[in-house]
Amino acid sequence: MSFFLPKLTSKKAIDEVIKGVAEKVLVLRFGRDEDSVCLQLDEILSKTAHDLSNMASIYIVDVDKAPIYTRYFDISYIPSTVFFFNGQHMKVDYGSPDHTKFVGSFKTKQDFKDVIEVIYRGAMRGKMIVQSPIDPQNVPKYDLLYHGI
Amino acid sequence: MGAHYCAICNQTTFCGKKKHIFGKNHQSRLRVVLLKFTEKVKEGRRTLKKPQVEKFDCTRHRQTFWCYCCGLEVDRDVTDDNMTVMHGGLLEHMATREHRNNTHRFWWENKADPKLRERVLITEEETERFKAEVAKVLECFVEKEDEYIKQQAEVIRAQEKRRQEVFQSLLEPDDEWELPNGPSSTDPSAELSVSSKFQPQASDQQVGKRFDPMIEAPRTLVGESLTFIGYQDSSSSGNVHTGAVPPWFQDDTLEGTSGSAAQPEIGPHLQEFLKQKEQAKLRKLPPNRVGANFDHSSHTDANWLPSFGRVWNSGRRWQSRHQFRQEEGQKNKKKRKREHGPDGSKKRNAEQLSDSDI
Repeated sequence: MSFFLPKLTSKKAIDEVIKGVAEKVLVLRFGRDEDSVCLQLDEILSKTAHDLSNMASIYIVDVDKAPIYTRYFDISYIPSTVFFFNGQHMKVDYGSPDHTKFVGSFKTKQDFKDVIEVIYRGAMRGKMIVQSPIDPQNVPKYDLLYHGI
Repeated sequence: MGAHYCAICNQTTFCGKKKHIFGKNHQSRLRVVLLKFTEKVKEGRRTLKKPQVEKFDCTRHRQTFWCYCCGLEVDRDVTDDNMTVMHGGLLEHMATREHRNNTHRFWWENKADPKLRERVLITEEETERFKAEVAKVLECFVEKEDEYIKQQAEVIRAQEKRRQEVFQSLLEPDDEWELPNGPSSTDPSAELSVSSKFQPQASDQQVGKRFDPMIEAPRTLVGESLTFIGYQDSSSSGNVHTGAVPPWFQDDTLEGTSGSAAQPEIGPHLQEFLKQKEQAKLRKLPPNRVGANFDHSSHTDANWLPSFGRVWNSGRRWQSRHQFRQEEGQKNKKKRKREHGPDGSKKRNAEQLSDSDI
């Protein structure tokens, strides 16, 4: 499924994409192609990519290929999906402890579309954090470890 | 009692014709009318003995007058577009039989003064006499016209000659300045020709003075009023008749370096046009959207990181990047220390730490 989505394999490529995508939501999926949950998420992403083409651009990133970003975005669980708009990171409150990324897979395609739409609208209004429209039951649960310095 | 329309008073009377005609109003009007009419006829009579023939002038001649007796508009003069016999038409009309009949009727109907009637009529004898006179006068007139024309021709010829002489004198400036003076030569030129020594200055003056009376420029050809600017030699490059390449298709030799530097096409390129389209779209977006002031053209170095709001951070997003860099720096230090350090337990601790980090 991830065959249809463009892949980014280096920091430079990721940088270019973050800086390059304009006036559209940038979706970066961090994970591994072989992972089962990642496969589910990839299917949803690839099937909705065409419909959301005017609002969002979706890219696949392998966590092993760009370790610096993996560390920077604090990716502990895969898949993690990070959203950007015009080079600016967008936070979404899913009801989970981490607002910076969406951890796990979406339950339905419609959930993903809704999230994208909400992010787009919020960004157009100048908001850098938006409220997720997904039902909290459908949001995957995980434990976030706080590691102080 | 019928309704009678009186042409002189311009009224319709219902009381009867006779009553109206003998009335004060009608008679006074009639008198005025007759006065006017007889005046015109008087003028015409004056020319009976001495007919006037004039050159045709379309503004004054060809006037008409209204004959009250006949109720017609009659041409006052007789003309054939070259000459006119003044009041000829009037006299002719007055002589006609119809006019005589009409006059009588008019006088009877309007009860005008019979003494005045004769003034309006012209007898046949008078007409005959008039016609003879007219013939004679016409002849004289024609003669006079011819003479006048001849005089004009003479004047024109003289002028022409003079101009020719001046032209000739210019073409051959080395000739003597004793030019054969024309019939109407100017005085200064005569004086100069008397003292005829070859002096360039004097000759210029003379030529200049001769120019003053002339209207045309010195380089004009005789008989034409156009300025001649020289024979155009296009045997090397060709001209429009031989089918040469027009100058606007040829590369300009004056352009030189500027031409070779760039072949500027007029108008924007395709790229610029597409950019313009994109910018037009951007202008429609809300101006307070996230990243509206994102400068796409600014260059970032290799270790640039996007502004990322970290999970446990509450401050600015920039802080997160800063912090991350700090941590990275520390981690690298620790890595180096690990490699150098011989202590095993420290190593394990460090490894555990780094594992949990990820």
